[in-house]
Amino acid sequence: MGRVRFTGLVAALAGLMAMSATAHHSFSAEYDSNKPLKLTGQVVEMKWSNPHAWIYLNVKGKDGKLVKWAWETGGANALFRRGWRKEDLPAGTVLTVDGYQARNGSMTANATSITFPDGRRLFAGSSNPNAPK
Amino acid sequence: MPLRRAASFAAWSLVAALVASGCSRNPSTPAVPRTADGKPNLQGVWQVRNTAAFGLEDHVARDGMPAGRSVIEGRTIPYLPEAAAQRLQNAANQKTADPLEKCYMPGVPRIMYMPFPFHIYQTPEHIAITFEWSQVHRTIYTNGVPGPEGIEFWMGDSRGRWEGDTLVVNVTDHNDRTWLDTTGTFHSAALHVVERYTMTDADTIQYEATIEDPKVFSRPWKISMPIYRHRDRDRILEFQCQAELEEANGDFERDPKTWYPGPSAKPVEIPADWASMSAPPSFDLPEAPAPAGGRPGQTAPPEPAKPSGPPPPIRRMADGKPDLQGYYMPDGGGGNYGLGKHAQDFLTPGGRGIIVDPSDGTLPMQPWAQAEVASRQHPERGYDDPTAHCFVAGVPRSTYVPSPLQILQPPGYLVILHERMSWRSIPLDGRPHLPDEMRLWQGDSVGRWDGDTLVVETTNFNGKTWLNEVGEIVSHAQRVIERFTPINGDRINYQATVSDPLVYTRPWTIALPLNRQKDELLEVACHEDNQDLQHMKDVRDAARAKARSNSTR
Repeated sequence: MGRVRFTGLVAALAGLMAMSATAHHSFSAEYDSNKPLKLTGQVVEMKWSNPHAWIYLNVKGKDGKLVKWAWETGGANALFRRGWRKEDLPAGTVLTVDGYQARNGSMTANATSITFPDGRRLFAGSSNPNAPK
Repeated sequence: MPLRRAASFAAWSLVAALVASGCSRNPSTPAVPRTADGKPNLQGVWQVRNTAAFGLEDHVARDGMPAGRSVIEGRTIPYLPEAAAQRLQNAANQKTADPLEKCYMPGVPRIMYMPFPFHIYQTPEHIAITFEWSQVHRTIYTNGVPGPEGIEFWMGDSRGRWEGDTLVVNVTDHNDRTWLDTTGTFHSAALHVVERYTMTDADTIQYEATIEDPKVFSRPWKISMPIYRHRDRDRILEFQCQAELEEANGDFERDPKTWYPGPSAKPVEIPADWASMSAPPSFDLPEAPAPAGGRPGQTAPPEPAKPSGPPPPIRRMADGKPDLQGYYMPDGGGGNYGLGKHAQDFLTPGGRGIIVDPSDGTLPMQPWAQAEVASRQHPERGYDDPTAHCFVAGVPRSTYVPSPLQILQPPGYLVILHERMSWRSIPLDGRPHLPDEMRLWQGDSVGRWDGDTLVVETTNFNGKTWLNEVGEIVSHAQRVIERFTPINGDRINYQATVSDPLVYTRPWTIALPLNRQKDELLEVACHEDNQDLQHMKDVRDAARAKARSNSTR
């Protein structure tokens, strides 16, 4: 993926908020407002699916072990319409993700904001109204 | 086990086929019907009468599977050696490995020879096929527009052209998750299908599909079969595969407050004086957004919207009626998170309020319904929202769920295809509703023109749907009157008046604009990739376990 393509991708994602509300279920029922999270890790893979895509992130725990977190984002169709392709988030990409953990206690969370190490924001198309516009 | 359940039905169909076979050779069979532009007219309700869905090759009967002859030219499938081994393994594990056993979309060509009817709708630019099986649909674009690139679909991407009187369809961009029958016949994402539809008389389509996949087969191979018109059906119904499965195994529980009680129930009458209350006052719709640039398949970010002039005038069909056809993005105003005006709350988006009648913008609920909505907002009841299970959204929720939609106007119908894999067929021929005991997720719709407004009445609901994620209620007694009024060539004023005497004290009306855009529908495979439901079930089960332990303490 060339630099030009990547820059275009980030620019494209900035406009996603308007078309982001594609939830098929209540986020409030699945995620816990008392469990906010901010984690940094490496992308394992992105699952290109609808109505929500998922970003899997390997995060190093306090004991040094890697834990795989599943972050729920907006749907693949919304991403596709903005020019995204499934190859555009290669494994190994470092991301910092903000969001809320699932109520069932699994290593699952709803992504409200995603940033690259240099501070650029990758808006994930979450239906979270608190996500950056 | 969708096919297993369908087996007896398929066997029955075969009997019907044998009885009817004499008729199909009758020299008095009418000639191939034609559309206004001279093409063979495929529109109608169709179904195969073979057992290809069970096995494409010759097969003897086994439990839940009728015997049948090969539909393949040359009788057998030319597998590569490794693929042949994989196919045998698939067959051995069919009960768990067949995607159809999980109610996943069957793909093309398998959907075409399932033991369920489908309805073909034909316009000069599109041939849409809606399937009774799980509200799946596919659109064959005959407008010459190339398909999107860099995306794959369960149902493939279909582009058609006419070669004389044969419709030739190129089906590409398949994923690698569907099978072709229950004997483990599989393919890779390199699958390429070319279908040929040739009407041999008014009631028969000779269907052929050439199947090419160099990763699985040693050469292209072809299936061929007649598809027959149902002369005795004026519409297809619903078989919601996953919903039926979950109702049968207890994963989706009956709600006696809203579900249709059954044919013995006393019909619910809508009070006579409600009719005069259902005309909404005038109201202002939100501003139209800037026209969006881009379309599927583009590999660069969308171009900035061009400055727009005055909106185009209302388009007209040949008969002078408004032409509402096109791809629309409804501006649902957050109705999927509450129909009234509401602020955002944690992860639930806010909404501008789309209730225009009553004038205070709130739903005129009966007291029990207010209590029930409050109950549905507890986290453990998020699981009960049918759309969390990826079931169809119902009416009017399908319009603001939110998901783009495509409107088609083939002769005699208005058809709405929802990207979130469901469809609505609205006949305009003045036919009556289904009998009262026929209850459907999407209800039964009939439409008529009132000036430039298409008025659609929908009844016969099963009462299983919710109005939105916060649990606002409708029951099986609801009647919905929708009004589609074009404001200009790019905009429809959509209104829906809901009358439900079991839940409300009077009718109420929502209004929102549908904005036409230059785009095409993609595909939402919701159930197939639904990871959220189990999380929500965990929350519900934990709440139930806690309640049980409290009650035994």
